[in-house]
Amino acid sequence: MPYFLVILTSLFFSVSLIAQDKTTISGYVRDAASGEALIGAVVQIKGTQNATSTNSYGYYALQISEPNTELIVSFVGYQFLEQTILISENKRYNFELVSLDNQLEEVVVSAKKQNDNVTNAQMGAFNFTMEEVKNIPVVFGERDILKTIQLLPGIGKGGEGSSNFYVRGGGADQNLILLDEATVYNAAHLLGFFSTFNSDAIKDVELYKGGIPAQYGGRISSVMDINMVDGNNKKFAAEGGLGLIASRLKLEGPIVKDKGSFMVSGRRTYADLFLKLSDDETINQSKLYFYDLNAKINYRFNDKNTLYASGYFGKDDLGYGDLFSFDWGNATATVRWNHVFNEKLFSNTSLIYSDFTYNVNVSNDESDFTIASKIENFNLKEDLSYYADNKNTLRFGLNLLRQKISPASLNARGESAVNSIDIESRSGIEAAAYISHEWRPSSWISMIYGLRATDFMVQGPGTFYDYDDEGDPIGEQLFDDGIIKHYFNLEPRLSLSVILSQEHSVKASYNRIVQNLHQLTNTTSSLPTDQYVVSSVNIKPQYADQAALGYFRNFNNNAYEFSVEAYYKYMGNQIDFRNGADLQANKYLEGELLYGVGRSYGLEWHLRKSKGKLNGWISYTLAKSERQFEQINDGEWFNARQDRTHDISVVGMYELSKKWSLGATFVYYTGNAITFPSGKYQVDGRTLFYYTERNGYRMPDYHRLDLSATYEPRKENKRLHSSWSFGLYNVYNRRNAYIIDFRENEQNVNVTEAYKIALFGIIPSVTWNFKF
Amino acid sequence: MRRRIYLLISLCIALTAVSCEEIIEVNLNEGDPKYVIEADLTSLTSDQFIRVTQTVPFNADIPSKPIENALVAVSDSRGQVFNFVSQGQGYYTVQNLKLQENITYNLSVNIDNELFEATSKLEDFVAIDSLGVIEERVFNDPYYFVLFKFNDPIDTPNYYRYSTSVNGGPFRFSSAFSDKFNDGLFVTHQIANSDNSLAIGDSVVVRRQCISKEVYDYWNEIQFANPGNASPSNPKSNISNGAFGYFSVTAVKEYGIRIEML
Repeated sequence: MPYFLVILTSLFFSVSLIAQDKTTISGYVRDAASGEALIGAVVQIKGTQNATSTNSYGYYALQISEPNTELIVSFVGYQFLEQTILISENKRYNFELVSLDNQLEEVVVSAKKQNDNVTNAQMGAFNFTMEEVKNIPVVFGERDILKTIQLLPGIGKGGEGSSNFYVRGGGADQNLILLDEATVYNAAHLLGFFSTFNSDAIKDVELYKGGIPAQYGGRISSVMDINMVDGNNKKFAAEGGLGLIASRLKLEGPIVKDKGSFMVSGRRTYADLFLKLSDDETINQSKLYFYDLNAKINYRFNDKNTLYASGYFGKDDLGYGDLFSFDWGNATATVRWNHVFNEKLFSNTSLIYSDFTYNVNVSNDESDFTIASKIENFNLKEDLSYYADNKNTLRFGLNLLRQKISPASLNARGESAVNSIDIESRSGIEAAAYISHEWRPSSWISMIYGLRATDFMVQGPGTFYDYDDEGDPIGEQLFDDGIIKHYFNLEPRLSLSVILSQEHSVKASYNRIVQNLHQLTNTTSSLPTDQYVVSSVNIKPQYADQAALGYFRNFNNNAYEFSVEAYYKYMGNQIDFRNGADLQANKYLEGELLYGVGRSYGLEWHLRKSKGKLNGWISYTLAKSERQFEQINDGEWFNARQDRTHDISVVGMYELSKKWSLGATFVYYTGNAITFPSGKYQVDGRTLFYYTERNGYRMPDYHRLDLSATYEPRKENKRLHSSWSFGLYNVYNRRNAYIIDFRENEQNVNVTEAYKIALFGIIPSVTWNFKF
Repeated sequence: MRRRIYLLISLCIALTAVSCEEIIEVNLNEGDPKYVIEADLTSLTSDQFIRVTQTVPFNADIPSKPIENALVAVSDSRGQVFNFVSQGQGYYTVQNLKLQENITYNLSVNIDNELFEATSKLEDFVAIDSLGVIEERVFNDPYYFVLFKFNDPIDTPNYYRYSTSVNGGPFRFSSAFSDKFNDGLFVTHQIANSDNSLAIGDSVVVRRQCISKEVYDYWNEIQFANPGNASPSNPKSNISNGAFGYFSVTAVKEYGIRIEML
């Protein structure tokens, strides 16, 4: 490992010494109508392969050597821009691109450097703007980015209507979900049928499933980096929609024209309004809803300094009369300061807070108590990008993250028939430093390699227990305030592309990632009450080593993009539970845990067409994911629940006319691995089931077709712009099994039977969207 | 608590979706047969029985296979041995086993030279304060429960198991409780029959047992088994050598009550 560090530092110095006599220009690429920063826009020197793309704040830096350089600036869905740059004192060039949507006539389509997927060193990554996926049909007509990414290869679907996802055989808690850099702990509403991401407020999503760059860490399977819309800094605008389940409204506008803007976006469901129609007092006082609120402001003090503040608040609320209530939600807050030291050195400093809480309230004749649980973090990040020249970019930074878990504690009030229970909170600090070098030494090779070093510090005060092999406590240690234990880890990262020609390339990647936050789920659908733990004296950090190899090919002048990737992932220090584990309000919780390993491997095919009236993609994944625990399944490898042999998604979008566009998706996947009984017996006159092999059976295969149509009348009224979205979920009404269970036959208890519960049949939806 | 959340979640699923249920065929393997020993010795009488059976394939038309050739014996910490006699259908009985407080009992079952053993101690019975009936309405449907009110002994873990017999039918397990959340308090236990179907006019006998932690864990796993569990497993038995079932010696009282209009 020290050897690796030496290479890295020597490269850093050699990079800074190269080519000092050339000039670097820099600036921002924005939308001409709204001033919104464009992420991933390409700035290219015309007629060459010299190009750069904008970062997540729309900033670019490009080195030019000749006077009168002609540049092409392009972004998908926008008309490209050609501009001649005169090298002079002025080194700052901001570009504004015009959206194809805002053009009166159909002109030439964008000339983005569209073989980026071939030439870019990064592999295992996807990028979407919300605009690109707006015509993909979804359940209940609610556009949902978490459902869309499940249509990509290597991303396992969470099940009927679920916004959970499994990346390359990893668990649902192994995905790092960031909203404006803040960790979102629970991205699901209403048990997963909706995600917490209101599509109006989201600009762009970047997903990494392999070759994860060194600036990210903390979850071993994937990173999903979501950016919120900045807000229109040219004029006031409103946008919203009325749907069957929820309504949305977004307001945005300038604070100071061209310098600062705000964006506020809200969404609320109203299924509970139907409860109010009931005559029953308990029912009409019941609650069943969720809402989301996103807000963001930004202000550009000058070309060198921009300040952003953004936040999210969402809550689910369920209640049965005033007897019982259950609410949960996330909150995030991010303050960011972009500073341009000089053309080559861009800095972002972030101060981030996020939390997830749930509360249960029980109030009846016997008991009167609340249960409250919270997980929160404070995060300070400093990220720097050094654009040395067109062949070398260095990214490095520091990160200090403190996470605190206050497990469910029970608070009894008055004359309650229950005792208050207080479970000790746990916290840990993760300090990380990283450096990453994006290097294009020649026209046929490019790479991103880096190293992330993390030190996870288990924090006191607290009582930690020692356990025997059976998980029974055998001793305790009391710790004062301070650091109890360090877990130091080095995480090398590499992603490399060998560009065979402008049409095809071979890529390889490797990453090691460490995870210190663990979610304990023992149900098939993850619940808001699932407990979190941080690494402790007993719980060691999870880690994954992943290697991948891929072939990327574009056809037909980049109209078709094809890729195939193979991966192998090994996961260490995985967590499962003893049989009958008690995970609630248990101070000996760690004694209920079992530790093992996992492995997954697979092949992913992806064919995408992104030009023309018909576009979309086909993805197919062939994969295996297994776990091994000494105490489970006699120590033999068993299938992970999310092990899916085949997983196919077909997405098609077709522009029928100026007014009508159509969308269709078809999904097929092998059923989850599951534990079914291999026999039965009787105890106390009741039939019990005899289980042998963990996850030795399969749910039936899942498949479904969804359709959508969007009708957008021509803009007669110039100000108001509206559209209708019609959707049909599960068109051929397939009864996909949600749960399979076993029971005694009602007529004859000697006979046992299996039954399935299917959740959603065919569901039509309609949404009216507006914009002005 | 957990049960309430599941109730709410199923309610929520019912409201958000038109779910449907149908009987299906699932091709299930046959596991190696396992022995099942049910030994619930109580202080009610000195007539005790133990049942020994074996697991059967899921599609078998019998609920379990009786074992007739087992050697079943219980010994106590004073050195007394009680040999059980086979009565057919897997039942083994003895007539003179009167349980005594603070005595430890050992179970031994020998089947074809395979030995299964367990140990259990008679727990003190926790007397009740009062008995009653309550009606609860869930979405306008009435549900009836028998109420047990009592003082839970403080600073000792206590575990309770209830079974009910409705209108003279056989006793069936209803629910098991621990005092994890209400140690030392004046506690109310709400008891229904196994399928929560008590109705006006029913005459109910509730059997209350104070059980050991091992036996509570066993029944608690059974009562919380639900189709949402990610990895269902066989409840952990207190009997050695991989046998299923449980060995329990308990102090028991039975309470009769009639469900009437309140």
